[in-house]
Amino acid sequence: MTDTAPAQGFFTEDMTISVGPQHPSTHGVLRFVVKTDGEVISEAIPDVGYLHRSIEKIGEKVTYHGYVPYTDRADYLAAMFANQAFCMAAEKLAGTEVTRRGEFCRVIACELNRLASHLISVGTFGQDIGAMTPFVHALRERETINNLMEEICGARLTYNYIRIGGVGYDILPETLAKITQFLDHFGPIVEEFNRLLSGNKIFIERLAGVAVVSKEDALSYNLVGPNLRGSGIKWDIRRDIPYSIYPELDFEVPVGTAQVGSLGDSYDRFWVRIREMQESVKILYQCLKMLPKGPAISKVPKKFRPPAGECYARVEAPRGDMGFYVVSDGSEYPYRVRIRTGSYTAMSIIDKLSKGIMVADLIALIGSLDVDAPEIDR
Amino acid sequence: MGVVASYLKDIKDTVASTFEGMSITFSHLMRRPMTIQYPDKIPVPIQETLPHRYRGILEVDLDICTGCLACERDCPITCITIGIEMNKETKQRYFSHFDIDVCKCMYCGLCSEACPTGAIRHSQEFEGASYNPAGLVRHFAPQAQNLYKPKKGGETEPKLITKVDIGQKYLDEFATPDGGGAAEEG
Amino acid sequence: MQAFIDQMIKDGAFAGVPREVVYAIAMVVTALVVLSVFVAPLAGVTSWLERRVWARMQSRVGPNRVGPQGILQWLADGIKNIMKEDIIPTAADQKLFPLAPYVVFMGFLCSFVVIPFGANLIVADLNIGILYLLAVTSLVVVGILMAGWASNNKWSLLGGMRSAAQIVSYEIPAGLSVLTVVFLAGTLSMQGIIRAQGWAPWDWFMFHNPFTFCAFFLFFTAALAEGNRTPFDIPEAESELVAGYVTEYSGMRFLFFFFAEWGNLYVIGSVATTLFMGGWQVPPVTDNPVLLGMLQFVTFFLKAYFWVFVAMWVRATLPRVRVDQLMALCWKYMVPLSFICMLGTIGFMFMDENGRRIFGALTLGFAIATIINFFRRVGFQFRAAKPELYWKPHI
Repeated sequence: MTDTAPAQGFFTEDMTISVGPQHPSTHGVLRFVVKTDGEVISEAIPDVGYLHRSIEKIGEKVTYHGYVPYTDRADYLAAMFANQAFCMAAEKLAGTEVTRRGEFCRVIACELNRLASHLISVGTFGQDIGAMTPFVHALRERETINNLMEEICGARLTYNYIRIGGVGYDILPETLAKITQFLDHFGPIVEEFNRLLSGNKIFIERLAGVAVVSKEDALSYNLVGPNLRGSGIKWDIRRDIPYSIYPELDFEVPVGTAQVGSLGDSYDRFWVRIREMQESVKILYQCLKMLPKGPAISKVPKKFRPPAGECYARVEAPRGDMGFYVVSDGSEYPYRVRIRTGSYTAMSIIDKLSKGIMVADLIALIGSLDVDAPEIDR
Repeated sequence: MGVVASYLKDIKDTVASTFEGMSITFSHLMRRPMTIQYPDKIPVPIQETLPHRYRGILEVDLDICTGCLACERDCPITCITIGIEMNKETKQRYFSHFDIDVCKCMYCGLCSEACPTGAIRHSQEFEGASYNPAGLVRHFAPQAQNLYKPKKGGETEPKLITKVDIGQKYLDEFATPDGGGAAEEG
Repeated sequence: MQAFIDQMIKDGAFAGVPREVVYAIAMVVTALVVLSVFVAPLAGVTSWLERRVWARMQSRVGPNRVGPQGILQWLADGIKNIMKEDIIPTAADQKLFPLAPYVVFMGFLCSFVVIPFGANLIVADLNIGILYLLAVTSLVVVGILMAGWASNNKWSLLGGMRSAAQIVSYEIPAGLSVLTVVFLAGTLSMQGIIRAQGWAPWDWFMFHNPFTFCAFFLFFTAALAEGNRTPFDIPEAESELVAGYVTEYSGMRFLFFFFAEWGNLYVIGSVATTLFMGGWQVPPVTDNPVLLGMLQFVTFFLKAYFWVFVAMWVRATLPRVRVDQLMALCWKYMVPLSFICMLGTIGFMFMDENGRRIFGALTLGFAIATIINFFRRVGFQFRAAKPELYWKPHI
């Protein structure tokens, strides 16, 4: 309770509102307890845990092969990356080699998934700001990607495609041709999306200078992924802690450049995602050209028993650095699986950024950070 | 840039970007919508348009099931329950029940990958809604059935040849360590 | 309308009935007829059209099952909503909560009194026509505030307050743009304003001089803001406040708010047509009064509906502005511009005939060039994205 303007004898108090858990634009089931003075927020405390499914505990009860479908659900919008991170951790523990074609298939699937995830991210961001058309356009493109994934591995959202030692299904030449066709069609669509939404003055005015994250704050609050790069820091796991075949691929890492407003505002984070989509298209073209022949999976025993030990594997997921810490005790069930996700740490900065902004800006802030409830709660 | 200049630039930017946006939405009026108007206004049923690898509801061809229980072991969510009994007189083993709880199933495909004959596989079916929870458990062994014994040198009984071929074709889709047809052609 | 009733009384149609009673019954019957025959299906079909237009702009289909091409969707929605349980929260204000939708509805329905559908097709040609319309549409503010307050819900209250601030602020640019036209026409009456224009585009007030051209767009934007339409639909911003001031409403009461919004769209279109586009004026092709009346009605309806389509189109395209930006837009941009337009138009009235003709032609030429440029841009979008074309409206 705060008294504002006590000199006039007015009694005012802050309003406590609960944004969520049922709300059209908290991404997933999230709740924020927000104290506002009219329109201006004084405090916004996140309340997480509505989507907790004990995925980490389940890891102790199923085998390594059986756990891979569970990792899909850790972030269902970017399921390939969780698959890959866990399989990398298991392979590091057991010393398994991944075949070259398997690596390329992994990168193709992952970059397609990155496109799908970023499409949802920018689409729902536009929807939160009020532009409903770009959302459906983004989903239309994502439907084509879903169809491609369906042809590759049989599922549209929770893939179970990347297995220990490679990938579960080989990509057929017809599917490769369809992927090329989609990429040729997708490049101009991103530009049309930019003309419709990113260049719109009202959109820019809503986001320029809103919720600025400085470089020091981004590092000290442990932001990752496009949130970190939006503040101008060039850090990408694919470049700085390279894994798989990314060292052989030629792509740029986009960072925020303060093209409207200040460095590290919501528009920069949004723009980094759009540029990342364009870079993913470049990566996909290269992979399709360089795809070698050979088996798509290497020989891995049915009863996968890595030697006792621990290891940490990280990948650059669309929402940042996703890490799997796996402890093995020599049996066929992991001893402990711990998932580190980017959205969980992004929640911590929301309270700091939300002081003094309006409720509409809070929605823009949550959307620009691209937090994702399944990642937060696991 | 002076105050008046930036004021006029704001107005010009708003009008220009609105104009551009409106031209894009107007052009969309004349494009084909992407909606598939399921279930009545489509040329062929959706099930026939799905790819062969589509992981729909599980189906079991009990005629070629050897009863090895590999699928029950590999399922990460224990949705498959198989019962195998021995007939005391004929010493023949048979299935007492083969139940799959379709609402527990994760549609991950690990069971179909583990099957040696391809008896358990994902079909193209996705319309599995039921009015009660009991309807979501599929019973694939309604009456007792003997286990299948795969013959060395290929199957000879004509009824079973097609079934074995279908099962094998399903298994060929999975990636194997010794390469595969796709890798040779691609 | 009054003349018609008076004539019937003189002919002895209502013998023995006092004059006031006849008037009262005539008013009620007229209101019922206008409401059920025109307004209700109009708002309903507007809702259907909005959903179809919106969907096609988003590469979707929209409702197309209920009736031919889904044109009876609104009827199905209405019946479904009437059959719903009427929930009034116990903590809500029991008297104001049910009343609010009707106040909003009243605010928009009263404006139909002065909408001129044809030379003789107007309920009452008040000589303060446009002023009455501006006044009556402000009743909506009372209804919205009532809804926000009576819901006893912090979200609704926020929505109601935002809406009140928005509507009251945007009355000013709207009023000033209307004044611009009133100066040119010399009268506040709707039929008078229409009669001051002609049927050809170069006789419309919109292309009279560059300042009225600007004033038209200012008026249209302000009217969109008054009707709570995107980009100014903050009070009902779905993604921010769940549903704003209508959060606690369900069933038919909920539908009343949206009914009023769609109907209001048509009122905005009608007023824009009346003031700036020549209203029901048609070229003198026939002498038959019935045929002429029908032609005028159809022309007016099509012109008004074109602006309804533009409002839907804008809704599909633009994101929402924030509340403080909305206020800044109104007070810092639109009010000064409206003043400039008004003063410019007054200046034009002192110019001689030839000068006015030249400027009118220049304005019309600019408008035509803009339209041509627009279609060139549309062609560019097609060439850039190379989509599959589908011209037919039905699917």
